[in-house]
Amino acid sequence: MKGIVFTEFLDLVEDKFGLEMVDKIILQSELESEGIYTAIGTYSFSEMLQLVTNLSTNTGISTDNLLLVYAEHFFSVIESSYPGLLATYKDPIEMLASIENHIHVEVQKIYPDAELPTFVIEEKTENSIIMVYKSSRAMHHFGLGLMNKTFEHFNSKASIVLEKIKEDGTEVRFIVNKN
Amino acid sequence: MSQDQIAILQRALKREKAARKSAEKILEDKSRELYAISQELKTSNLKLNDLLDEKSSTLKGIFENINDAYLVMDLWGNVLRMNDVAIDFFGYDIEKERFNVAEIVYKDDIEYTREAFKKLYEEGAFNNYTARIYTKKGDVKWLLINATIVYDKENKPIAAQGIIRDITFIKSLEEQKEKILKELEKRNEELYEYAHIVSHDLKSPLRNIDALISWIKSDNKDNFDELTIQNFDLIETTIETMETLISNVLEYSSAGANIGNETEVDLNKIVDDLKEFLFIPKHISVNKLNKLPTLKGDSTKFQQVFQNFLSNAIKFCDKEIGIIEIDYKENQEYHQFSIKDNGIGIEKKYHDKIFKVFHSLNKREDSTGIGLSIVKKIIELYDGNIWLESEPNKGTTFFFTIKIK
Repeated sequence: MKGIVFTEFLDLVEDKFGLEMVDKIILQSELESEGIYTAIGTYSFSEMLQLVTNLSTNTGISTDNLLLVYAEHFFSVIESSYPGLLATYKDPIEMLASIENHIHVEVQKIYPDAELPTFVIEEKTENSIIMVYKSSRAMHHFGLGLMNKTFEHFNSKASIVLEKIKEDGTEVRFIVNKN
Repeated sequence: MSQDQIAILQRALKREKAARKSAEKILEDKSRELYAISQELKTSNLKLNDLLDEKSSTLKGIFENINDAYLVMDLWGNVLRMNDVAIDFFGYDIEKERFNVAEIVYKDDIEYTREAFKKLYEEGAFNNYTARIYTKKGDVKWLLINATIVYDKENKPIAAQGIIRDITFIKSLEEQKEKILKELEKRNEELYEYAHIVSHDLKSPLRNIDALISWIKSDNKDNFDELTIQNFDLIETTIETMETLISNVLEYSSAGANIGNETEVDLNKIVDDLKEFLFIPKHISVNKLNKLPTLKGDSTKFQQVFQNFLSNAIKFCDKEIGIIEIDYKENQEYHQFSIKDNGIGIEKKYHDKIFKVFHSLNKREDSTGIGLSIVKKIIELYDGNIWLESEPNKGTTFFFTIKIK
């Protein structure tokens, strides 16, 4: 997993809960990297999993909600780092529909070793889209957070319903309706 | 600040330091990698440039040095580029004037040219298209053109290029050749007719002389002495020889004529018939060693061939027991025949001569020297060869082939 995901995460934790919390979850987790992250490095996903789990335990906030908040924060990173990518879209539904065929392709070009989830489109109209998220990471709420911010970015609103196809969250259906 | 807080800050600082170092290392490695890649790119760029220069100069060389005219034109026939040969040939120079290919096509070839260009646009190329054009001077020239469409990056046709060869001279040679061939054919026919008439006209006075002589002989049976009668007999034989000679000349002149009357000819039957028809003395035997094939051809001509070989073999037999053997074998390309005798044989120095007209080696009354030249002519008509092996006093073997169709 790209280092920027870690550095941004820890910055957010420090922002919301203070440096003590950052120190605490790093100490509680068994990290190969010893909590030393740089945006340009690459680290194991299990480290992120441990950090999120420990943050959840310490704060009493569910991991799903933590991921949601984190994703919403992370969208601003995309906005400032890759404005060109967002500029190619005029409509949030179009942007969501092209995750698989355009965005992920571009991501793979920049980060050849990135492990990306798949989004299979089941149904699409001008104002709605149904897609199935599949990933062993079960980070569907991270996706949800990014989607929320996507609509916000285009000055639009949507109701997004998540249906778990698999209990462990590795396969989730997103039903998105633009308001 | 509590002890704990200090420890937390120290750990955070330590992590930040370590992170900075690790980032520096990663960036250092990246920049090294980038440097190596850029060096590599520079080298390959140089190589590509060299290659491009080389290709460009090769192309320029071809453009300037080919002996044919080279044109690039847009899709409406306006010439965009032309080499020096083209400028010389067409008389137009696009540096100075407009030059449109469609406007110089010879009047009778316009329709045909339009079709050809339609095909060029549809299929992307045409080969060996010929047509006539007017040069700027007004001369009509024959062209041989190979052309292809030039496409842009999106595969849209943007131009056409062609290599154009002046074939006016070749065309005129071809026309001349055809004219000459026709004339030759006519001449040959006339010649054959002439030979036919001459031989016919020559024969009738000969027959008259023959009749007159026999009358004189019978009228003066009692008045002529022995020597005079003998001389008259000689005159009669000479007249007979002369008649044969005339017949043979006629035969020779028709031997090379086109093969007409093609049928399946059984050569066994030809030889058997000849054995009946020719006078074969009792001491000479004619044998076939192998079964002969059945060939497609003119039966009269095949008969002439075998008749000539057999009568020669009979004529020139000087042995007490004469043996004539006809043999046959086949290979992939040819039927090969041989006629072997044990007669007087032919000296090596005459082996070529005997196939020429009027070259009789033996001054004999029944030998005109035309027979083998007729045989040779017929065999050549069937794309075959003729040759012989011979030893004086021992015998001769004639070989000939006929090409398998």
